[in-house]
Amino acid sequence: MKLIEAIEILRAAQPAEVQAFRVNMVCGFNPLHLQTFLTARLRQLFPDMRPEIAGGLYGDFWGNLERAEAATADVCVILVEWSDLDPRLGIRGLGSWAPEALEDILTNAKGRKAQFGQIIKRVSNNVSVVVCLPTLPLPPVSFAPGWQAGAFDLELRSVVSSMALEAARCRNVRAINPARLDRDSPLEARLDVKAELLSGFPYKLPHASTIAELMCQAIRPAVPKRGLITDLDDTLWNGILGEVGAEGVSWDLEHNSHMHGVYQRMLHSLSAAGILIGAASKNAADAVEEALRREDLVVPRSALFPVEANWGPKSESVSRILKAWNIGADSIVFIDDSAMELAEVKARHPEVECILFPKDDPQAIHELLHDLRDLFGKSSLSEEDSIRRESIRQSHTLEVQLGNGPEAADNFLKQSEAEITLNFCKSPLDPRAIELVDKTNQFNLNGRRFTETSWRTYVSQPDSVFVLAAYRDKYGPLGKIAVLAGRKVEKTITLSVWVMSCRAFSRRIEDRCLGELFQRFDIDQIEFEFVSTPRNGPIHDFLAGMLGVPPSPNCRITRDQFMARSAKTFQKVVEAEHG
Amino acid sequence: MDETQASLVRCFSAVFPSLAASDMAQASTASVKEWDSVASVTLFAMIEEQFGIEMDIQDLAEMVSFERILAYLRKADAAKH
Repeated sequence: MKLIEAIEILRAAQPAEVQAFRVNMVCGFNPLHLQTFLTARLRQLFPDMRPEIAGGLYGDFWGNLERAEAATADVCVILVEWSDLDPRLGIRGLGSWAPEALEDILTNAKGRKAQFGQIIKRVSNNVSVVVCLPTLPLPPVSFAPGWQAGAFDLELRSVVSSMALEAARCRNVRAINPARLDRDSPLEARLDVKAELLSGFPYKLPHASTIAELMCQAIRPAVPKRGLITDLDDTLWNGILGEVGAEGVSWDLEHNSHMHGVYQRMLHSLSAAGILIGAASKNAADAVEEALRREDLVVPRSALFPVEANWGPKSESVSRILKAWNIGADSIVFIDDSAMELAEVKARHPEVECILFPKDDPQAIHELLHDLRDLFGKSSLSEEDSIRRESIRQSHTLEVQLGNGPEAADNFLKQSEAEITLNFCKSPLDPRAIELVDKTNQFNLNGRRFTETSWRTYVSQPDSVFVLAAYRDKYGPLGKIAVLAGRKVEKTITLSVWVMSCRAFSRRIEDRCLGELFQRFDIDQIEFEFVSTPRNGPIHDFLAGMLGVPPSPNCRITRDQFMARSAKTFQKVVEAEHG
Repeated sequence: MDETQASLVRCFSAVFPSLAASDMAQASTASVKEWDSVASVTLFAMIEEQFGIEMDIQDLAEMVSFERILAYLRKADAAKH
């Protein structure tokens, strides 16, 4: 983004009553154009909000950081530069670079590291934090020539790496990846000496724009894709199965097809991180199964579910996989070496991200792996990630059972030994709750999203009601799958948030959750802040069933209505130990 | 209005949104009350980016009006060709 574009974005009119998105920016330099870029990008990121960036005092990084603990903000962004570790590492100060000063500079930097670690822990208890550690070239302080990695430079960089590590280990902190910054902003095009001398702003404009962009990605990471459907021939492996047979396809150095093996390794890694991996191939099913039984397959056969091998259009295979996964088309990526197949799938499922597998270009395949990490990457893994694939398989089995009529469904659910664990604990709040609220689309009362801070504030109100539900049955755990949050006033609970993972459908968990609200909170009615969204058909249908009419905003269900219309439930309900 | 002038007008409009188009050519640090040091830094950074030039640090003190900046840019453009 250019500076003029950023300013023009900021000049565009916005309704006066929009909610503020408050950012506390901690740095020691004059944030000038970086603040402009960041505000403009935030404006694009949150079109319904008004970004407000509060800066601190010029030249007082550590004071600004100390004050961040008490500041009220939705997010705190922290930019450390070398001169914040010791003023002699900047160009505005004229402190000594003599060899005898180096040890003292290192001692100061180490002291700052310890101070940084302590403060960042405290700040991140209250607010989400984004950290960017020194991005500018280290000035030629050391006596060693520039081509040599001297002990001073290495030790200083090690101090900074330790700071980054300590910050990244805090739950509520995201650190900007210096490797990504290196890719997007060349080192030699970062420092603007003239601007630093004139105004105390040290960055060239493209560098400031890149930092703002990366910070925005950290402030609001893109929702990760949830499933990947891969083609097989000339994609998962090299060769056409129908022509060369199961033993003829390859993914190794010997056959000059090694990058297919590297691609398989990536799919295995994604699968192990909870990403759903399916396959869609125009092939005979038995031939595919034979190939997938090969022991040298890098991605285990069990990681692929479902595998659609048939001679029909790929778009139909994709439809069946989406149904089995029960997720939206916009949550998946389809990879195929044929541009025609990609176009056919795209025409039927425009929301699917379709990517060409560049089978003849090893370098491009390597780049594709980086792109896949960006599309599917998560800041941390949860228990739910490790059980997702298995629970999808179970749901598929369940759907088949439920298709045999209500009596068969009752019998199946009765024998499944289901148990729901309810967690009412508001402090500390389980981070899985906001993850569910943020990611769930189908069974979602109104599509409302929260920042970490606004979520914490909402739930911590004295009259708030908060429930996080986990589910397991004899087939295995589904993990934490539903969140309900609202306010209780006298004999009414008003639900503002109700989401449930699509993996948990058809188990009557929704009926049980409402029943527990009536029972535990001794209420007469539940009011729903329902808003229809393009995706929340499942909750619309559930509420319509309860109400007898389509739901409207602020619709209510009384205890009597609930008792008369709720489905029979069989789950045992327990309260979480620390709840 | 030539391309150089049009680009400079866009820069001035971005930095001084309340400045009327009719007053642009006469704009100066004396006539535009929003033209403070921060506005100068922003305006010069924007001009450098828009025109792909590096303004000499010694020249900046002279850049006190639309007219002078336009003349500077025309001179720089002529020197390039």
